[in-house]
Amino acid sequence: MRDLIDLWVGVQAWLFETLVSPVLFHFGLMAWYEPGYSAVEFVMLGVVQIAVIAIGMRFFERRWPLEKPGPDDGLIMVDRVYTVLNKLGIIPLAIFILTYPLVQEVELAVRSWGYMPPRLERLLPWIGDNALVSFLVYFVLYDFAAYWLHRGQHAFGWWWALHSLHHSQRRMTVWTDDRNHVLDDLLITLALVLFSQFVGVQPGEYVVILMVGRLIESWSHANVDMSFGWLGERLLVGPRFHRLHHALSTPTERHIQDHNFAPVFPIWDILFGTAIYDEKIRPTGVDDAAVDADNGRGWIVQQATVFGRFLRALMPRFRRRASVP
Amino acid sequence: MNRLSIAALAFSLVVSGAARADSVIILNSDEASYSILSRSARAEVVRLPVGREPHHLILSPDGKEVLIGSTATNELLALDIKTGERTRVVKDILDPYHLGFSPDGKWFVTAAYRLDHVDIYHADGFRLAGRIFIDGLPSHMAFDTESKTVYVTLQQSGRVAAFDLATQTLKWNMPVGNAPAGIVMLPDDKRLLVALTGEDRIVTVDPKDGAIKGSLQTGKGAHNFFPKGDGRHYFLSNRVEGLVTLIDTKDEPKVVASVRIPGGPDCMDITPDGRELWVTQRFLRRVAIVDIETMKVVGSVPVGKSPHGVFMMKSTATVTAGAGLPVRAASTAGDRK
Repeated sequence: MRDLIDLWVGVQAWLFETLVSPVLFHFGLMAWYEPGYSAVEFVMLGVVQIAVIAIGMRFFERRWPLEKPGPDDGLIMVDRVYTVLNKLGIIPLAIFILTYPLVQEVELAVRSWGYMPPRLERLLPWIGDNALVSFLVYFVLYDFAAYWLHRGQHAFGWWWALHSLHHSQRRMTVWTDDRNHVLDDLLITLALVLFSQFVGVQPGEYVVILMVGRLIESWSHANVDMSFGWLGERLLVGPRFHRLHHALSTPTERHIQDHNFAPVFPIWDILFGTAIYDEKIRPTGVDDAAVDADNGRGWIVQQATVFGRFLRALMPRFRRRASVP
Repeated sequence: MNRLSIAALAFSLVVSGAARADSVIILNSDEASYSILSRSARAEVVRLPVGREPHHLILSPDGKEVLIGSTATNELLALDIKTGERTRVVKDILDPYHLGFSPDGKWFVTAAYRLDHVDIYHADGFRLAGRIFIDGLPSHMAFDTESKTVYVTLQQSGRVAAFDLATQTLKWNMPVGNAPAGIVMLPDDKRLLVALTGEDRIVTVDPKDGAIKGSLQTGKGAHNFFPKGDGRHYFLSNRVEGLVTLIDTKDEPKVVASVRIPGGPDCMDITPDGRELWVTQRFLRRVAIVDIETMKVVGSVPVGKSPHGVFMMKSTATVTAGAGLPVRAASTAGDRK
């Protein structure tokens, strides 16, 4: 294990000291020295995630596909662009630059008042004594927050205007998870970072939670006919469980997408009455021609179109047609 | 050292509940833990949780405790110097990034790096005497030998500020260069050395008024000092260059030796026998061991993520301030010999 860590940090340090550090030093940006090193790790983790998706998860999609190859296969291409932009840190970097000052200000204001969030270790000291337990507890808490944010994305018209881009894909695959509007990504990131700081998630833990969580979410979008089994499907979100959340609404199942919100742990849907477990295979997408028109568009046009949709939903005077699921 | 012997060592440490004079404490700043290493075995024997974002640590004036600044939880965690066990938590110490006791042991000072203030406490009971808000990322500190003044580097604004300890007021605030970090008062009490992390040099500053009196090229990212212990030579880590240099301060400071330490070398400490320098390598999650006589790397110990502060347990005997021991501002200020 130590050899693996040495290899990982060796590559990270080499990349940083060869490519990033000289630039920061030259331009007098030494205040970004430590964050710059973390950013290199983020990009490396992104490469690993893309490899896991492209090699590992795609193997299962090819071997046991739920939806057979068809005329809509070309719609997947743009989702690959989203994944690369996200996993290699281009979108996250932009979000980081935008949110960092705000997050800093909030944190500094709270701390300068002398207020300390009630960290879990204070309540349950044994949590801090075991790294794995600590990771799992914070992962569950993080997922709890993500569950409610996801419900918010479906509950508010303006937020749905953004989030509907994620749902408009008719050909759901392992690449679909990253298909989000940058403003949607920004809001979610901001909320989750603030939440994580509030409950006391470590920066190191946050990165691991993010990586493991996003891989599980990529898998939950996979076009595979596989199940974790009765118990497994109740412990971890899998493709069958999450596909229902992306199901096309019909007159008999008008609010089908208001179920199975949980990103990683289905327990939240079970506890809050939003879980549906069944074997029925449904087509995915949205029952809204304006939103469905996202399909076939490229990344830039999708971003621009969805932003317009968001503005119209937010400000009634610009509204031609607001759509709520 | 094989895994079995490390396990045996860890077991004996845990059973005895002791971090002994043979131990070294390393703060893993990115994973909220501290490692206890065995100096003789050159191995990590146990890793324990500690607050959030621990960066620096310091010996208490009575020599009985090691205080770790847990920056993101606004507290100090005290470890028993003999056993390494947590003894108490000092709360309401805001953002204790860098820590220092004045040489007379009466004042305790913290540089709140992220919250932009310098706090001066009565060391007895950690009662806040004064909080001075100052822009520019207060980073590291040094004291004069008379315990009247504390000097603090301001990393973002490129300045050094001097504060009167008794009145908690600003004496001067002067520009010194790009991203000053480590600072040390030389034993003559007439020269401050300041490491410029945004440049490749250190500057000599007059403690009376902050005027720059000289400059010495050392390596890119000059960052932190540690005294060799002879009152004359100081080690300096150069983070960007990946270099530790030895500086002779007898007359005009000059570089007399150097050793390449990759991975962003940062804080340092010396073994009690004076033979080895231990240097945290922030990026490699390791601590490098340098033979001081030959200035060569002779060992490397894996630790946790982003190791920062390092502290060498020197003795299990009770000691008092002013008894000839080094008085440090968290691994940076000089020996008083």
